[in-house]
Amino acid sequence: MMLFQNCLDKWYNCALKRLKTLLDKKIEKIESQNNLTGDGTSITQRFTVRSHIYMVFVISVILSCAITAALGVTVYLITRDMKYVNLANTYILLSNKAMFHERNFVAGWEDIKESKESIKAFEMVVFERYNDFGNFFDNSRLISNIEKYGRLLDDLTEINTFPPSEQTNAKVVKIRNELHQLSDEISNYGKLFSERTGHTMRKDMFLFKIVFVLATFFLFLFMLFIVHLLIYRVLRTMSRIVQYAKHLSTGQQIKFMPGKVYQDEFSDLASALEQMMKEFDRQQNIISQSHKLRAVGTLTAGVAHELNNPINNITLTAHMLLEDYHDLDEDERLDMIKDLIDEADRSRTIVRNLLDFARESESIMEPIGISDVVTETLKLAGNQLKLNGVHADLTIAPNLPRIHGDRQQLEQVFLNLILNALDVTLKGGQIRIDVERGDEPNFVVVKVADFGNGIPDHILHHIFDPFFTTKSKGKGTGLGLSVSQGIIAKHGGQITVSTKQKRGTTFTVKLPITTIPADIGGNMESAHGAF
Amino acid sequence: MGGEFEVLLLDDEPIVGKRLKPALEKLGCEVDVFTDPKEALKRLSEKNFDVVVTDIRMEDVDGLDVLEAVMSKSTTTKVIMITGYAMMELAQQALSKGAFDFIAKPFKPDDLRSVIIKAAEVLGKTDMLKCAVK
Repeated sequence: MMLFQNCLDKWYNCALKRLKTLLDKKIEKIESQNNLTGDGTSITQRFTVRSHIYMVFVISVILSCAITAALGVTVYLITRDMKYVNLANTYILLSNKAMFHERNFVAGWEDIKESKESIKAFEMVVFERYNDFGNFFDNSRLISNIEKYGRLLDDLTEINTFPPSEQTNAKVVKIRNELHQLSDEISNYGKLFSERTGHTMRKDMFLFKIVFVLATFFLFLFMLFIVHLLIYRVLRTMSRIVQYAKHLSTGQQIKFMPGKVYQDEFSDLASALEQMMKEFDRQQNIISQSHKLRAVGTLTAGVAHELNNPINNITLTAHMLLEDYHDLDEDERLDMIKDLIDEADRSRTIVRNLLDFARESESIMEPIGISDVVTETLKLAGNQLKLNGVHADLTIAPNLPRIHGDRQQLEQVFLNLILNALDVTLKGGQIRIDVERGDEPNFVVVKVADFGNGIPDHILHHIFDPFFTTKSKGKGTGLGLSVSQGIIAKHGGQITVSTKQKRGTTFTVKLPITTIPADIGGNMESAHGAF
Repeated sequence: MGGEFEVLLLDDEPIVGKRLKPALEKLGCEVDVFTDPKEALKRLSEKNFDVVVTDIRMEDVDGLDVLEAVMSKSTTTKVIMITGYAMMELAQQALSKGAFDFIAKPFKPDDLRSVIIKAAEVLGKTDMLKCAVK
């Protein structure tokens, strides 16, 4: 029991010390974080899940050893106590038996032999377990008492052989008195022995109960420790990472925060993911850029043609004006000058569109009218459409709500869809663009439909894969749809495709409308996850 | 004089016709201007021109179709192609199909006039033109 108490005290002190150091470190960390924001990793203490598992293992081994040992000891004690109690019972039984025979003999009902035998048997037991008795009372006199008792019985037997006389009677009375005294003393020893063993037994039983309760208590604590490991450290963190991934897949930009009270594998995972996202973003930018270059390439051909027209008109008009200046009346001259200005304007618009599209810029999210974006894009693709002899049929539903997005990026998406549709449309064909409210509330949809051959089933699930293309080498990079999907996802929207063989393909872009721009910011904030 | 030197001018940009018509008339040509290739084709089926000037890139029908239509109908008519986007591939295609010459936009009225004169020389109809251009 004392050993246990010592252990408890030590453990308690140890725990207190650990708690104190942890608190100190936490305070230190908070202070240092207040001082320098950012790199908290060098300050936080490393407490890995692996070490946690090792700790759980070691603690479980120690705990089970301790519980086994404690239970073993108490069980041993109780077994020993039971032996003592049995011994006490045997003592009392044998001594009573001896006394009983002795009294019967004295009363003259019995032969002295039985009495002697029983006292012999009693003496044997006492001799055998002499040391055990010594644990409970001073047994030095016990043996001599028993021996004396035996001797007295012998004397009594001897006297019995003589003819009864006054002398012998007096002797018998004396011996009987002495026997009484001795038997009382012997039974007192028995009572004392029984009492003391009973007491020890009760004490050990109590100890057993205490050990049992403590073992249960520590097992409970240990369970908490494991639960903490599983639920708080592993499962919760994992579900946070899952949440993070979900947010990312909807295109929201969230900063990963690996900072934790202690650093563990999940912090490493968090920083690795963060790193991955950075790299992914970088790659995405490169891809998006190369896609843009391709689109610019396609456009340039068209724009060169488109730009040549107004320049040609200007050249012709200017030359004719120069040539016939004096022969023309004033109205004709003014008409020509007006034409010059109009055509110059026209070229300016073309150049500006091209520049707008190719412009290197950060994404600027702002409330924009989706119909404007689509109309602008159609203008941008207008020349290409004209050259391919394809008619674009644009339908815009009235009173569409605004969306929150980046004009330029959305233009890139729609231009890509329109150019794709154009690629599969034969000369003289048409493509259809519908801008309307979505089936779901709070969404607008833009549908770009062609009436080409449709997409075969076996490639349908590849079309959004980066670098997948059905176009001939050098014509397509296979990036258009994957980049478009990335952009639409960033806007919290969705891009889907439906196609029918020989009937055509419809790409549907679904974009969330904006009610209050701050709403989106708010959502983004709440999505921040700390690890 | 055995009649006028007849030219059909087809370009979907209205200003081209508007400006080139007087420029060619000064040369002594009779000019029919069209912006819609379909109408031009209709007119071509009705009448033989000495020279057809056509843009290559247009909606619905392109210059090569016009060239084919002209070639299938008349062997004497000279076709001059105009395009806003000079592509070697298209130029070769047009020339191999029998186009007389190829002019890239932007061009000056004199550029066209000199090609027309050249065509007139080939056709032997220079006397129909007032050769004011050097």
